[in-house]
Amino acid sequence: MTAQFSYPSDREESSAAQVRALEALLIEKGVITSGTVDKVLSYFESEMTPLNGRKIVARAWMDPDFAHRLVADTTAAVAELDLPEGMAGAEGEHLAAVMNEPGIHNLVICSLCSCFPWPVLGLPPYWYKNPVFRARAAREPRAVLQELGVSLGPDTEIRVWDSSGHSRWFVVPERPAGTEGMSEEQLAELVTTESMIGVALAKSPADS
Amino acid sequence: MKLQHYLGGLEGLDGPLDFEKRVFVEDWEQRIFGIHVALMGLSSSLRDALPGYDLDKVPTVFTSMWTWADLRKGAEAMNPFAYFQYRYYEKWLGGITAYLMDNGYLTARELDAMRDRYRHDPGASLPQFGSEAIDDQVIRYLREGDSPRRGPASPAFAVGDHVTVRNPPTEDHTRLPGYLRGRSGTVERVFESNYAYFCYTGADGLGAPCPVYVVRFDPVQVWGPRAESNAGPLFAELYEVYLSPEPEDSQ
Repeated sequence: MTAQFSYPSDREESSAAQVRALEALLIEKGVITSGTVDKVLSYFESEMTPLNGRKIVARAWMDPDFAHRLVADTTAAVAELDLPEGMAGAEGEHLAAVMNEPGIHNLVICSLCSCFPWPVLGLPPYWYKNPVFRARAAREPRAVLQELGVSLGPDTEIRVWDSSGHSRWFVVPERPAGTEGMSEEQLAELVTTESMIGVALAKSPADS
Repeated sequence: MKLQHYLGGLEGLDGPLDFEKRVFVEDWEQRIFGIHVALMGLSSSLRDALPGYDLDKVPTVFTSMWTWADLRKGAEAMNPFAYFQYRYYEKWLGGITAYLMDNGYLTARELDAMRDRYRHDPGASLPQFGSEAIDDQVIRYLREGDSPRRGPASPAFAVGDHVTVRNPPTEDHTRLPGYLRGRSGTVERVFESNYAYFCYTGADGLGAPCPVYVVRFDPVQVWGPRAESNAGPLFAELYEVYLSPEPEDSQ
């Protein structure tokens, strides 16, 4: 899209100065402190990362009963695991998981904005927030997945979930073949952020 | 009518998707994200939140409401070309700056002066102001959130019911994807509680606690001949205010 618009040559420098000015004024006036923004960023860098989602998926692969509970009451099932405090915090208050299975592939989108389960997946990658992706995935998910390298047979049903309500959705990808003897920790390594939104499959052990 | 409300299904956007997997593509973007989260964690709306935040003990001068709804209203109010032109966090920067000026937290003159300062000396340090109570409240908000759950569900519809999506007038904000207006679907799931929204959206209907459903739509019904061949179902999470019983003659 960028090529269709023209931008000032100091585009980034200007934004960088503006955001610095905003932060400085908010500190000066007593809205936030000198450390507030750093503490917020640290929370996401150290605790609320896609590693949480990878552990949830790996457990679901190992334990069919957990997988069942994860779909039925996602927030409660996630709370069973030894994950950072705050999995039901901001943007995790009401989680909802959908499960891929043979013949069924799920894709989560947010056509209106960028709703995303922060505690499970961390912050949303740029492609998810891109208006072009959001526009296209609603109507032509198969073409979009094909373009992103996910070829699904014509018999595989693609289910699109538009996050327009209170829940924050994620996908439990299918467990790859050839992973029978792997530990939960090894399985978690096969799970990517993209696979938990539905624009990729979990990695095969041969690729990782 | 706003393009941002009708993004899902918009045609003519063919061409390679930008599959940028990074969360931030410029360092400055992290700072506006952090400011947004801080304001949400200090928002006056949290006085009614279920975790019972005691904002009277938080010595911030911020006394306004800042929620996702406010950020979304800003994005929805944009010129639609600009909505496509600017990156995600550029839109946040514009919206949050405008909000802080509109609500009297800073003036254009102050912002210009401070911007010039950092423009000429990008490495200049930030002012010093500490308050554990402010930082603790923001982090506590992240850990405990702001659930919109308000009492048990009082659903008008049950799983399997046929429903038609209403076509209410939109003021400045909606959670109804435009492509679903007037379409019919089937209730797939009824959530167990009623859910409020951050603000009242006027004639659009949101705000008071109401049931929420997952509604299943047939892409052929939604997109007509522009649906993909062998398309699977499309599910949307919809507040009850957006749904009406399907007319008798169309069942």
